Amino acid sequence: MSIVQADHVTRTFRVPAGPVEAVRDVSMSVAPGDYVAITGPSGCGKSTLLQLVGCVDVATSGTITFEGRDVRALTEAERGRIRLRRIGLVFQRFFLLPMLTAWENIELPQAEAGVPKAERRLRTRALLDYVELSHRADHFPSQLSGGEMQRVAVARALANRPALLLADEPTGELDEATGEHVAALFDRVNRDGTAIVLVTHNPALAARARTHLAMKSGMLQPA
Amino acid sequence: MASWKELLLALALVGPFTSAGPVAAADAPQAGAPADILISRQLMRDAHLGVGAVVVLATDAEGTRTARFRVAGVYEPVPDPMKFNVKRFEARLHLPDLVALTADPGDPQALESVTAINVALVDPAAAARVAADVSRRSMGVTVRPVARARDDDPFAALDGFHKAIAAVTVVGSTAFLLALMVIRAEERREMVGMLRLVGVPSGSIVRAILIEGLVVAVAGAAFGVALGVAGQYGINRFFQARYDTPLLFVRVTASIAIRCLAVAVPVGVLTGAVASWTLLRRPPTEVMGR
Amino acid sequence: MSGFALARRTAVRYPARTCLAVLGVAVIAALNFDMLLLSRGLLLSFADMLGGAGYDVRVMGGGGVPAIRFPIHDAAALADAIRRLPQVGDVARVRLDQVSAAGPRSGPEQAVTLIGASLDAAHPIWTITAGRSLPVDEQGAPPSVVLGRSLAAALGAEPGMLVRLRAGDRDGRSLLPAIACRVVGVADFSLESARALTAAVSLDTFQAVQGGGASDEADLVLVASAPEVGPDAATAAVARLRPGLHVYSNAALVEQFNRNGFAYFRQMSLVLSTTTATFTCLLVAVLLTVSVNQRLGQIAALRAIGISRQHVAAMLLWESALLVGVGGAVALPIGGVLARALDDILRRMPNLPERLHFFVFEPRAVVLHAALLAATAVVAAAYPIWLAVRLPIAPTLRREVVS
Repeated sequence: MSIVQADHVTRTFRVPAGPVEAVRDVSMSVAPGDYVAITGPSGCGKSTLLQLVGCVDVATSGTITFEGRDVRALTEAERGRIRLRRIGLVFQRFFLLPMLTAWENIELPQAEAGVPKAERRLRTRALLDYVELSHRADHFPSQLSGGEMQRVAVARALANRPALLLADEPTGELDEATGEHVAALFDRVNRDGTAIVLVTHNPALAARARTHLAMKSGMLQPA
Repeated sequence: MASWKELLLALALVGPFTSAGPVAAADAPQAGAPADILISRQLMRDAHLGVGAVVVLATDAEGTRTARFRVAGVYEPVPDPMKFNVKRFEARLHLPDLVALTADPGDPQALESVTAINVALVDPAAAARVAADVSRRSMGVTVRPVARARDDDPFAALDGFHKAIAAVTVVGSTAFLLALMVIRAEERREMVGMLRLVGVPSGSIVRAILIEGLVVAVAGAAFGVALGVAGQYGINRFFQARYDTPLLFVRVTASIAIRCLAVAVPVGVLTGAVASWTLLRRPPTEVMGR
Repeated sequence: MSGFALARRTAVRYPARTCLAVLGVAVIAALNFDMLLLSRGLLLSFADMLGGAGYDVRVMGGGGVPAIRFPIHDAAALADAIRRLPQVGDVARVRLDQVSAAGPRSGPEQAVTLIGASLDAAHPIWTITAGRSLPVDEQGAPPSVVLGRSLAAALGAEPGMLVRLRAGDRDGRSLLPAIACRVVGVADFSLESARALTAAVSLDTFQAVQGGGASDEADLVLVASAPEVGPDAATAAVARLRPGLHVYSNAALVEQFNRNGFAYFRQMSLVLSTTTATFTCLLVAVLLTVSVNQRLGQIAALRAIGISRQHVAAMLLWESALLVGVGGAVALPIGGVLARALDDILRRMPNLPERLHFFVFEPRAVVLHAALLAATAVVAAAYPIWLAVRLPIAPTLRREVVS
């Protein structure tokens, strides 16, 4: 059974100039253990598709099911709970909370999900080890480099042991070497069993995925 | 409504105060007919009296000495800030009528007595000298200028109180504007860092932020003045209705508006200067978080 | 991590803006606190002043305008009758008039309020600060007088010295001879202003200063109710003795002044406290709104990773509560200092009793202050919370990346 199944999904935005179809009639599915990269020119609808798949946004038409549940039928609170427990999100601009340390940023979604304190401590320590930032646990984001911040963001995304990790241009703000480091981390996450869908302009990062989807003008192109 | 007895008392009480005031024109009393009096608007309304009504005035609550009068007219008492919360139940009598009603029958001089004599001087500035002079010559008479010394003026204390409150408000507003400008500065940290990196001189950045602080402060002050002008109508109406007086409680004058704007200028410059300092005290690379 | 912890971290993370906002709230909330003190301060002070002499019922010849004298006739008989009432503990007769006084040294005469008081009362209506209170006058010796502090200073008189009291005030000359009195004490008169020139003598001496005669009048009869029955029962019993007299308990007088005399300050405190609360609310709302606008991306990302709306709302509510709460707490000492300064300014009003204060502390004001601030924090946070919880996640994230 797939984690996410999208069937003929369209997402239309209403702007003053008229409606814009950011995603048009897209169908795709992500199964456990998949590693999917979506590439395409800027404005082709990759990020919008990622947000639809990640239950952040809702399709205008078509159907998306997440672990068998129709996303459109869910309330915002229910979609929020799915994002919290079943999906990990990584953003291009990291979006770590500046007033919290790396440790606390990773702990935050666990606390929200009601993970007991002792369990949170164990998991957070393990995640910091996993992203090789144990020595930076008490540092604030402003005291970390871009690569380190993105690794903390990945650890935060994995905090509630999601079935699916979504990353939107995760290396967009990083230099080549640092990007390579973060890419290796994604490989490891996938090897350890988490499905990944990432959107990127970076061909090297896209090449690491087992499935490569190209998008153009809101539509998936044949491979 | 006040009882009839209380009304008598009230009328009796106001007599001595009003006798020295100007007596409005009223027909001279006919023999046997009640003499004419004027009553205040407030008394007329609360006692449900009207022009032509005949009332009995008494010197005390028991009504031992009374006289009948006809209400010849109604007047608005001169607004007095010292009495704004006092119900102006007053009546104005012709002096001979008042004396006839209140004079002690056992005191032959009582018919020649008045409580006070008001004097309008040709030169009001000479009031203190004239008072001292008359006081020296007339035994048993207290002579005082009407104008109050500042030490004796309760409104001088109120004026100081209001000014102190205004000063505190300015301090609070300055702190808030500073906080706002600091937040705005933090918001534009990266942009300012970038501008400095590409060579825009610090002076230009400081100027821009100072102008922003000044514009916010002066616009806020101007809005405040406009709000004050709009609000004074409501506040005056409220208090005038509450205390049944034509007194003005709030008045936004040109001088107040100018002072308000004058305070806003240094506040704006100060807040702009602090905001610029928070942005410029560190090198641009650090400001941009690199 | 709770909303409170996040809010606290945010406040600590941006110390400059937090301190400035707290300072702003503190200053305005101090003013607000002072307005709460002002709203009942005069009343409390007035009640305290009335009760200070130990008498809780006042008997007067007339009501209304105090400038008009309504003497009580047969005052001694009335005082005896009152004293015999089981509801009464103590009675004092008081007479008041304007006289002139000359000191032991040559100098101008002073216009003085002379108080004549019966000496059979247990409590004097003044507080001795030097010397002693009025003794029963001895035959042949100069009668005794207690001077108010200001009068003693103006005349340069001390206990043991002689002063001369004469009917009629300084300007209103009288043909009656002056009476030489020996100063036995210096006192504070609670109902008189600090600058007022006041002297107290026995009723006999008072009568002598007025030219003698056998007048048995009083301007005021003060009654202390028996502790077991209280002032209301005493008021009713005294009123029944001689219909036509005006008998008030202190509480009734305070209520009367509350309706008339203090209305202006109550209204002003209401207007100013409403204005300052609105001001605080607006400014905190502006600061929080600007702060939320600055963090839109962060809030959208929090929502995207599954942090609930309630959690985000709680964080903002706590941010508001922290600013207003800490500011409100700091406001208490600032308000205390400010209240003293404002009280000093208002007490420059002429003829104000020395013990009358405009700003009087009471625990109720602190409770009200806290409740008002809590409401302010909630109202101030309402708009920023609405902005944050209604934030469309996907478009905001898109906008943040593009910007």
